[in-house]
Amino acid sequence: MLEEIVKTYLVNAKHIDPAKFDQPKLQVSDFGLDSLDMVEMLFEVEDRCGFQLNDPMRYLDMSFADMLADIESQIRANNNGVLPALTLESGR
Amino acid sequence: MGAISPLGADRHQTFAAALAGNCAIRAAAPEVAKWLPHVVVAPAAANPEQLLDSKYAALDRATQLALVAAHEAMTEAGISGKPEDAHRFGVYAGVGFGGAQTVDSLYERFYTLLHDTSQPGRNPTVMHPLSVPRMMANAPAALVSMRYGLNGPSNTYSVACASSAVALGEAFRAIRDGYLDAAVVLGTEAMLTPGALMAWNALRVMARPNVTDPARSCRPFSKDRNGFVLGEGAAAIVLESEARARARSRQALSELCGYGCSSDADHLTAPSSAEQVRAMRQALADADMQPAQIQYLNAHGTATDAGDVVETQSIRTVFGDAADGLAVSSTKSMHGHLIGASGILEFAISVMALEQGALPPTATLEVPDPRCDLDFVPLTARRNVGVEAVMSNSFAFGGSNVSLVARRYRA
Repeated sequence: MLEEIVKTYLVNAKHIDPAKFDQPKLQVSDFGLDSLDMVEMLFEVEDRCGFQLNDPMRYLDMSFADMLADIESQIRANNNGVLPALTLESGR
Repeated sequence: MGAISPLGADRHQTFAAALAGNCAIRAAAPEVAKWLPHVVVAPAAANPEQLLDSKYAALDRATQLALVAAHEAMTEAGISGKPEDAHRFGVYAGVGFGGAQTVDSLYERFYTLLHDTSQPGRNPTVMHPLSVPRMMANAPAALVSMRYGLNGPSNTYSVACASSAVALGEAFRAIRDGYLDAAVVLGTEAMLTPGALMAWNALRVMARPNVTDPARSCRPFSKDRNGFVLGEGAAAIVLESEARARARSRQALSELCGYGCSSDADHLTAPSSAEQVRAMRQALADADMQPAQIQYLNAHGTATDAGDVVETQSIRTVFGDAADGLAVSSTKSMHGHLIGASGILEFAISVMALEQGALPPTATLEVPDPRCDLDFVPLTARRNVGVEAVMSNSFAFGGSNVSLVARRYRA
């Protein structure tokens, strides 16, 4: 679901071509996001998980898969190792 | 010129509705009415978000309204993208309170999550990262400068009810004094939110609903007035130098020719006739005109007892013998008080009165206050009137007074 939440935001809000996510070596920098876009994207996760992710700009140097793995590890670290049930629908 | 107001989704709709004497005042939205059942408001006639590209959907409503009005004004001025002289083209905005909708939403979210035990994973302190860019007072000016690639100054004036009148005057001076060749001037306001309306309600200045017809609750210069009605909307005007307009073979709608401003330096909310007089006289002197040369004056006319009576006295002082031949109206009787947007909306209405030779009425003036003894164009519009010059007054909380004068442009 984490991957689905981020993808949905990128497709709907930033008009990223869904076919792009089929690339195995997809980099976060391939999306062409600026710093405001990055924090807006991460808010989709933060709003559901209840904490701010650390140092968002470092994700620009990561692959998309590594970014998702890092976000998941931060969520688990904030939830006693558990990944809570997330939904596509946000609370806003 | 462009406008999205309680009276219409564009400037022509707005002026046609004003001439028809339509009053756009109604009960507040349910989320306000449940706390303040007596409050009436004048919402914009259209949802700006639906008139804009989806990339503007997340902006504050005040910025969206500004973008809609700016689009109409820039289109009418023949400007669709970045002008060649972008560094000589500025954005001047007037905003009273800025992103009220964003601020209200922020607190609503905080307290909702704080007390909502059904969503334990969510945190009231995690806010949307664009909250600040959305609520900052200069967001409308910034977005308009970005939309059209305007590299001149993008300045925002926050002078309460006089904000956009100051923006017009300062842009006028910047062009006249050679700092710029053109500017798009904006005024915008969108604060019909629960938090803002509760604050206004506390000031005891809001009109109670008219029992016969709530739409007619704003009653400037009337004996049965009981306060003003908060409205929302935006207006925009492209100002350019005569030389630039001539080089582009553009016909001017009119000439902005006089700007006066003063400060009471006395009281936060009570008006001062002496400084209102000074602002009007400054504007006339700036235009090198005599009072008798003005045919129509759009009054500040908010429908508060002190405001209406003092403005009447001030107009009599400035216009002297010419006061009895002057047509004065308060179009707030129809569109309410747009605070930061009121100055430019009412100036635009004044220019349209000049353009069309038709004077919008003080639409609710059924029982004139004997202390307000000018020709307030009561109830119905006056058409086929020769109008060569107009004045528009904006007097703000905080004691700022602004008068603007425009006249028919003659090459």
